Amino acid sequence: MLQHERQGPASLSATGVAIGYGRTRVVGALDLTIEPAAFTVLVGPNGSGKSTILRALAGLLPVEAGTIELNGQSIARLSIKQLARHVGVLAQNPRAPEGLTVAELVQQGRYAHRSLFGRWSEADQVACTEALELTHMGEFAGRPLDSLSGGQRQRAWIAMTLAQQTEILLLDEPTTFLDLGHQIEVLDLVVKLVRERRKTIVAVLHDLNQAARYADRLVLLKEGSIVSEGTSHDVMSREHIRDVFGVDASIIPDPYTGAPMCIPALGTRVCPDNG
Amino acid sequence: MIRPVTLLVLAIMSLLLVSLVQGDYPVPLTELWQVLRGDPAVGAEIDMIVLDLRLPRAVLALLVGAALGVAGAITQAVMRNPLAEPGLLGINSGAALAAMIIIVGMNPAPDHLVPAASFAGAAAMTLAVYLLAWRNGTSSLRLILIGIGLSSLGGSATAFLSAFGDVRDVQRAMVWLAGSIYDASWAKVQTLLMWAGLPFALVWASARQLDTISFGDETARSLGQPVDRVRLMMIAACTLLSGAAVAVSGLIGFVGLIAPHLARRIVGRSHVRLVPAAALLGAVLVMAADLVGRTIIAPAQIPAGILTALLGAPFFAFLMWERRHVAA
Repeated sequence: MLQHERQGPASLSATGVAIGYGRTRVVGALDLTIEPAAFTVLVGPNGSGKSTILRALAGLLPVEAGTIELNGQSIARLSIKQLARHVGVLAQNPRAPEGLTVAELVQQGRYAHRSLFGRWSEADQVACTEALELTHMGEFAGRPLDSLSGGQRQRAWIAMTLAQQTEILLLDEPTTFLDLGHQIEVLDLVVKLVRERRKTIVAVLHDLNQAARYADRLVLLKEGSIVSEGTSHDVMSREHIRDVFGVDASIIPDPYTGAPMCIPALGTRVCPDNG
Repeated sequence: MIRPVTLLVLAIMSLLLVSLVQGDYPVPLTELWQVLRGDPAVGAEIDMIVLDLRLPRAVLALLVGAALGVAGAITQAVMRNPLAEPGLLGINSGAALAAMIIIVGMNPAPDHLVPAASFAGAAAMTLAVYLLAWRNGTSSLRLILIGIGLSSLGGSATAFLSAFGDVRDVQRAMVWLAGSIYDASWAKVQTLLMWAGLPFALVWASARQLDTISFGDETARSLGQPVDRVRLMMIAACTLLSGAAVAVSGLIGFVGLIAPHLARRIVGRSHVRLVPAAALLGAVLVMAADLVGRTIIAPAQIPAGILTALLGAPFFAFLMWERRHVAA
């Protein structure tokens, strides 16, 4: 295990953060502390700023006001490379150059750990092998990415971010293009990484019930602000669902885990223009 | 991996050999061998034909092709576009405009000034493209769009000059622009090596950066790559490589487009292998074009740039046809 993986869970927080694209402000004054060694899920309607917040936490978007801190230090003071040793990101719909193999993709995850003209090291190889094993992608290592199914391809990308060996992982809709079986597989892997490797993982998910079932903490967003955050029992209430999504819903316990499940009532969209 | 590269090296060696032997004055292999050994029994004339005319010409063709091939590989990675080539950065139009200004505007234009001016023109145009594309960082798309815009602006300025310039000057400029290695010399070989040698070595040593930047800005950045800085360095290297090539040979098109494509087919996507393979393929293309151009209708010479274009246009079409099933 490498040095930085022994340091234990890392903390990530946003204080008074405002983010915009051009003149449109997407996120107002956001205060958010990500719990270390836990799985946090950002939920909310389209355009509520989930992905924007995730990208800002990753240092991929400049903030207009406020600070984002990694282990108590502003990420604006870190170089892109330093940041990438602590925070790994999986974009929503990442694209790879044509014809790339899984192994070549995963090797890219080692970028931040290599010096300018540095050679491929033993540690690099170990990290890649481990990432392929964790994602059960070892047997596909030599295959071109284009030849894989959607689920396998997503696992290959996750393997790439795992090879980066960061304490924090930010996943933007990691399950969106997957079928149910592959969704569960990805989420189980996330939970395993949090429990066994004490990784801090933040994801944007669309499926409220999956979010409630897997997340340690839920953050419910509306128009760039936090409506509610806490455990799924705190966040998943009829009032919150109506307020944020504009639908009436029943909240019932998940038959397997007891987590709250949200069942929308028919034809009850209160304000269709809400998102 | 080893075999295709070996084949390419063999192809270059054979082209070199044929270039030394073939021409208006055929030199038999036995005499060639004597010349290369420095045998005093050979006439001074043959000595001059081989060592001062044909050898520098073949070597220059090799180096120009290699520089253009590598510049093309860089452009395609940085622009993330398989149809990109160094001309897209404004290198060709900048060089053409500067050469036209010097040849038409100065009377008489000193010969040695044209290469220097075209190099400066290429660099200035690339710099302008880069600066205009800068908005809190650069993006491939903005670079491509501004590159196309400024290139056509430069093209119309060149056309304007050629419409109003003295006919003899314009013709001289046109001949230069057509891209030819006919007046090769050891001095040109040295110039090209001096400007393109270091960028080539640096690009090859940091080939990994090209692999990463091909993923797109966001992914590259999240992997830890300072994308803007890498792009700037790579564009600078590309400008030196193709600007120096243009300065010694005029505009030899399509090599920067074709060589990296063929190289990718042979050695795959990884730039550690792609960069040298593109260099070798570029060398083969320009050496072959120059050899064919000067022997096929001898004593007249077809500029290498015209032959590569003749070869390049159908290849371009083939590329489009082959990608017809790939979603845009």
